[in-house]
Amino acid sequence: MDLSRRGFLQAAALTAAASGLTVACGGSSGSGGTKNGKNLTLWYWGGALSDKVVAEAKTHFASAVTLTTASIGGDFKQKLTTTLAAGTSVPDITGIKGEDIASFLPNASRFLDLNDLGFKKLSSQYLGWKTKLAQTKDGKQIGFPIDIGPTALFYREDFFAKAGVDTDPAKVAALVKTWDDYFQLGTELQKKNPGTYLVNNISSVFNIAVGQGTQRFIDKDNHFIGDQDHIHAAWTTAIRPYTLGIDAKINDQTWNAAVGKNLLTELGAAWHALDIEQAAPQTKGKWRVCANPVGPANQGGSYLALPKQCRNPEEAFKIISWILSPTNDARGFTDAAIFPAAPAAYAMPAMTGPDAFFGGQKIIEVFGPAAKAIPDSYEAPADAAVMAPYMTELTNIEAKGKKPDDAWKDAVSQAKQIARRQGVN
Amino acid sequence: MTSPPVTGPAAVPEHRGGPGPARFRPRRATPAGTARPKRRGLLKYWRQYLAISPFYLIFAAFSFFPVFYSLYLAFQRWDGMGTMQFVGLQQFRFLWDDPVFWLSIRNTLVIWVLSTVPTLLGALVLATLLHSVRRFKGFYRIALYVPNVTSIVAVAIFFGAVFSNNFGLVNAILGTVGISPVPWLSNPWLIKVVIALLMTWMWTGYNMIIYLAGLQAIPTSIYEAAKMDGAGPVRTFFQITVPIMRPIILFTVIISTINGLQSFSEPQVLFASNAANANLGGPGQAGLTTLLYFYQSAFLNNDYGYGAAIVWAFFLLIVVLVVVNWRITTRGRKG
Repeated sequence: MDLSRRGFLQAAALTAAASGLTVACGGSSGSGGTKNGKNLTLWYWGGALSDKVVAEAKTHFASAVTLTTASIGGDFKQKLTTTLAAGTSVPDITGIKGEDIASFLPNASRFLDLNDLGFKKLSSQYLGWKTKLAQTKDGKQIGFPIDIGPTALFYREDFFAKAGVDTDPAKVAALVKTWDDYFQLGTELQKKNPGTYLVNNISSVFNIAVGQGTQRFIDKDNHFIGDQDHIHAAWTTAIRPYTLGIDAKINDQTWNAAVGKNLLTELGAAWHALDIEQAAPQTKGKWRVCANPVGPANQGGSYLALPKQCRNPEEAFKIISWILSPTNDARGFTDAAIFPAAPAAYAMPAMTGPDAFFGGQKIIEVFGPAAKAIPDSYEAPADAAVMAPYMTELTNIEAKGKKPDDAWKDAVSQAKQIARRQGVN
Repeated sequence: MTSPPVTGPAAVPEHRGGPGPARFRPRRATPAGTARPKRRGLLKYWRQYLAISPFYLIFAAFSFFPVFYSLYLAFQRWDGMGTMQFVGLQQFRFLWDDPVFWLSIRNTLVIWVLSTVPTLLGALVLATLLHSVRRFKGFYRIALYVPNVTSIVAVAIFFGAVFSNNFGLVNAILGTVGISPVPWLSNPWLIKVVIALLMTWMWTGYNMIIYLAGLQAIPTSIYEAAKMDGAGPVRTFFQITVPIMRPIILFTVIISTINGLQSFSEPQVLFASNAANANLGGPGQAGLTTLLYFYQSAFLNNDYGYGAAIVWAFFLLIVVLVVVNWRITTRGRKG
C-alpha cells in the first residue's frame, strides 16, 4: 500500500484533534481539586508587591506548598473578571486594584471570606478605612489590604523661596490650611515666578476634594447623590484655580515635561513621588512635601484576595498574611515604593529614612499621619463609572473653555444616566 | 463559499479523491434514486472537509459564537460575573438618550471622512505616479508600504510625541517661524485631525499597492489609443484610468469604510486613560470613537449589556454606510 502523503495527513490531523480533546478535558478536570492542594498560584501585576518579598515567600512556604507567581500585564481587572467568569484556571491568590475593588463587591460570592480564615484577629493591624472598602454590607471581607495612597502636597522649594515664602514643610502646611489659602498663595507665587502654575489640572483638585469627604457619588442605599452639596462644593473648589489663572490645564503626556519646569505644586498620593522623580530627575532636592489643604484623601492602593476556587485556603491565607505583615509591608516601600496599609510599618527604619529627592526630608512624617487621618467613606460598585463624566467636564472647561455652570449640568445629567444604566436608583 | 459538489453517476471522477470536472457543472435536477451516491459523495470528500475545518472551527469559536452571543448580551444587564438579567430593549433606550454615544458616532464619522478621503485620493495619485516611474520601483513601493506594517501602537506613541502641545516637534518647528503653539492634542477638531493624519499615514501605502496592481492590468494599447486621439495626461487619468479602475476603487472604498469606522487603537493609545479620569478619548472626549466607547462601557465600566448594544447599533450604521457607498460608487454602471 502506498502510505501516501494523504494517509500521513489523515493520521496527523486525527492525532492533532485527539490531543486537542485531551487538553480540553484535562483543563476542566484539573480545577475540581481538593482543598489542601500543594500547588498555589498568585496573580499580581508589576509593582503591586515587592518582588523580593514574593520570592522569599516561595522559599518560606516551600515545605508546605509550591507557590507559582505570575506577573500579569495589561488590563488586570479584565483578565481577572474573565477568568472568574469562566471558572477554570482561577488563581488561588490574586491582587485586586484599589479602584476596582468596589466593582468586585457585588460578586463577593466568588471570593472567600477572609474573616473565616483569621483576618478578624489581624485586622486591627491595618487601617480601618482601607479594610472597610473591601468589605460587603453584611461584613464579608474579600480583600486583604496591601497598600494605600495617602495624598499630600508636593511643592517646589526653590520657587517658594524665590517668592519669599518660608519653605519649611510645617510652615507651608500651616499656610495652606484651606483651599482658599492655597489658591491665594498660588496667585502670589505666580507673580514672583512668571509662567508658572499652581496645579497641573483642576481634575486633581476635584479628585482630592471629593476624597476628603465621607460620601461620594452613590450612597449606601444605592441612591445617586452626585448632584448634592458635597459634590457641588468639591466642584466649585476645583473651578477656582481655573478662574484665578493658576491652572496649567495639562491633560496629556506633556505633564512629564512640565513637572520639572513650570509647576509650583503637585497634589497627589504617596506613590506620585515616584512619578515626579522619574519625570523630572533634574529637580532632585528641590521638592518638599506637606499636608494638602483641608485634609488627606486616598488615591489607589490594592488588595490581595482568595477566589472561591482556591485550592488550599488555610495555606493561602498564611502566605498573604506573611507577605503583608507590617515588617514585609515596610520592605515593599523600599523595594517598590508601595505605601503600607499597616501603620506599624511607619515607625520602621525602612520608612523613616530621609529622602534625597525631597532634600533629605523624612516624608513619612507627612504621609504617616495623613494615612491615619483618611476618613471612612463608602465607595459604590459604580462609583468610578459615575465619577468619570465630572472629570471629563472639568477637562472640557480647560480644553474648550466651556462655561463651568454648563459643564456642571452636563456632568450631573450624564452621571445620572450612567448610574441608571448601572442599576442605581 | 464552497457548496457540496454535485455528483451524478456521470460525474464520478476517474481517480480516487480527485475533484474531477463535475465539481463546476451547473446544478441540475437530480434523477430519482440517487440518494445513496449523493451521501457517499459527501462522505467521500471528508479529507478535504477535514483539511479546511481548522479555519471554520476557530472561526466558529472565536468569531461566529461571540458575534451572536453579543447580540444576546445586548438584551441583558450583566457585569461580567454575576447573574444576567433580561432587560428587553432597555439598553437601546439608554443608547438613544445617551449624548456620549451620539458624540462618539459623530467623532467616528468625522475621523473617517478626514482620513479616508485623503487616503484614497493620495493612494490613487501615488499609484499613478509610481506606475510611470522607471527607476527604484521596488524602493518606492516598499517605502510607501512600510507604514502599514508598522506597529500601530508605536506609530501612535510617535505621533503623540510629535504633536505634543507644549514640547512637541511640530510646535517647535512652527515656533521657529513665529507661529504660536497649536493645541494639537486638546482642541476637539485638531484631535480628530491628528488621529485622521495617523490613519492616512498608515493606510495610503496599502491602498496604493492595490491601485498599482489595478493600473498594471490596464493594457497599454488603451493609453496609446488615447494618446493618438490627443488626450493629455490629466484627461487620460479621468477618462481612462478612473473608469477602468472603478471596481478596484469600489473595493478600497468599502474596505476603508469598514476599517475607518473601526478606529480604536489610534485614539486609545494617543489618549490613554489614567487613574484620575476613567473616560477615554482625550480632552472633551473628542477622540472617543464608537468602538472606544464600547470598550469603555463593557470592559472598564463592566457594563457588558450596554457595550453589546453599542456595537450592534453601530453595526447597523456601518451596513447603511456600506450600502450608500456601494450605490454611489456603482452609480450609472448598469444604466
